[in-house]
Amino acid sequence: MKLFKIAAAAATGLAMLAGTAQADDKPVVGLIMKSLANEFFQNMLVGAQAHEEKRGDYELIAVGMQNETDFESQINAVENFITQGVDAIVVAPADSRAMVRPLKKAMEAGIVVVNFDVALDAEAKKQQKIELAFVGPDNRGGAKLAGDALGKKLGEGAKVVIIEGNPGADNANERRLGFEASVAEYKLDLLDSRTAHWETEEANTVFSNMLTAHPDIQGVMAANDSMAIGVVKALESAGRDDIVVVGFDNIPAVGPMIQDGRMHATVDQFGTDMAANSIDLALEVVGGADQLKGWVKTPIKLVTAN
Amino acid sequence: MTTQTMTEPVQKTSRFSVRSVLQNAGIGLALLALILFFSVFTEHFLTPNNITNILTQITINLVLAVGMTFVILIGGIDLSVGSVMAFAAVVAGKAITLPGFGPAEAIALAIVAATLTGVACGMFNGVVSAYWSLPSFIITLGMLNIARGAALHVSDAQTIYSFPYAFEEFGSAMVYGIPVVFLVALFLVFVAWFVLNFTVFGRLLYGIGNNEEAVRLAGHSVFWYKVAAFTICGLTAGIAAIVYMARLNISSPIAGIGFELNAIAAVIIGGTSLAGGRGSVIGTLLGAFIIGVLANGLILIGLSDFMRQMITGIVIIIAVVLDYYRAKYAAK
Repeated sequence: MKLFKIAAAAATGLAMLAGTAQADDKPVVGLIMKSLANEFFQNMLVGAQAHEEKRGDYELIAVGMQNETDFESQINAVENFITQGVDAIVVAPADSRAMVRPLKKAMEAGIVVVNFDVALDAEAKKQQKIELAFVGPDNRGGAKLAGDALGKKLGEGAKVVIIEGNPGADNANERRLGFEASVAEYKLDLLDSRTAHWETEEANTVFSNMLTAHPDIQGVMAANDSMAIGVVKALESAGRDDIVVVGFDNIPAVGPMIQDGRMHATVDQFGTDMAANSIDLALEVVGGADQLKGWVKTPIKLVTAN
Repeated sequence: MTTQTMTEPVQKTSRFSVRSVLQNAGIGLALLALILFFSVFTEHFLTPNNITNILTQITINLVLAVGMTFVILIGGIDLSVGSVMAFAAVVAGKAITLPGFGPAEAIALAIVAATLTGVACGMFNGVVSAYWSLPSFIITLGMLNIARGAALHVSDAQTIYSFPYAFEEFGSAMVYGIPVVFLVALFLVFVAWFVLNFTVFGRLLYGIGNNEEAVRLAGHSVFWYKVAAFTICGLTAGIAAIVYMARLNISSPIAGIGFELNAIAAVIIGGTSLAGGRGSVIGTLLGAFIIGVLANGLILIGLSDFMRQMITGIVIIIAVVLDYYRAKYAAK
């Protein structure tokens, strides 16, 4: 069903490109997301569509990308939205620098721009002389919540490893930095830190090998839950139930693992609501409220068995 | 006259030729050198646990590479196996979590679903590329996108989880420290070796890789042999999906991204020629071991991710350059 909605959204977009603009005078919000192949953005899209139906006082055009690094199609989407004359653009940038210039063009065209999920680069914003608030979770703070839960459980000097997301990705960096802050605060002993590209099978392989190299590992911090699942499976095949695992994202598949203790904690950043909340903020500005300023932090929560 | 052109290429790759022995010996030596190196320089490499780990870790790639060997032997390539594996895994994941089935039925249903999905995708690749004589590179690139999109569509981009316990058991079962899933892969290698060397079908695949026209003029239906090679490759992608699910107890629509490249690398490192007509599935087995041992050993040695990626690339290039000299020497 979702795909039909996406298709419908795409069709709406195309129709508007063709010049048959909307008849009624509801404000139009263009939503630009990252890869819809990512569970996180897929849920976000569903959340935004439900929100559009619930509010009923605006029109949503949603655009996703082929993959995480396809930022050219995001730039094209911004340009198309400018041509269509939308009222607001709500964007999760794939590249925190490349998106600044096209968004400046949109702002100059009088479009309300809200940046969410990943913050645009401060330096690039300064260069382009624009002020743009960021609405989003604190990935670093979230990772630190998970890391702190691990630190509290294991105590000072515990031996830990980090499973990182895609090298170079902004949220992967932030989460790694958050974990490293916990390592510093709880004086943990960081034995190794490697990427598994957000993926379960690779995390399973990479972590099995880390465990062979360091059989004395006591804790694992995985930058997302898909990778945490791979770690948990590796621990099961190695017959180890003494190692504490924390993840990030709170996807449904880790629910049972948290409940039965195979995973200690994960972090929920309420991705489903994030786009919807950003749209609310954008519509307020469209309706005459003040421009947003600074960093509007969205809620994050540590999820444990209790 | 036609039979003459036919027999010539087939004889050239006869099953116990000096060349094929030399080839596999060369790869075997390279693997041995790697194993020796890691045994000396890391503490845990040659421990039973780590050997079990390596066997588990190369299983999926080995299964995919066995199918890939068939396609490369006829001078083709299949870029879609990683995506097809993910598609088969989510279809099977949907099947296995259907309500109203006992564990045994659900598992049987999942296995059927995964293999059928793989076979259908492989057959499509084969029929389209063989019927219109199109490069399989581009057809399977199309399938790479079709299958990935289908996997995301079927699963709504969500990870599918909570499979029957028995399925998980199979994924982590051991016989004398050897993972059962690896034994399944080894059995596939054996079957493939037998088919490629001791059946008319197998010898004709070599023939097609060497000189397709000659095989056609000899009165064989090249079309169906080609379709069969791609279908076998799809089938192994389906089997790889089952291994993936049993090992991790989930189905992820983003599984297997880039796996096709690892499978191709195993085949090529194993001495099979990208031009087709020359190579063996035993070489593929050794090639998969080289990739797996390298990935494992470089982590044990503590090398950074980026260095690891560079070294893997260098090894692939060295293997192909060595193969050039091997072929030149054996041709004399």
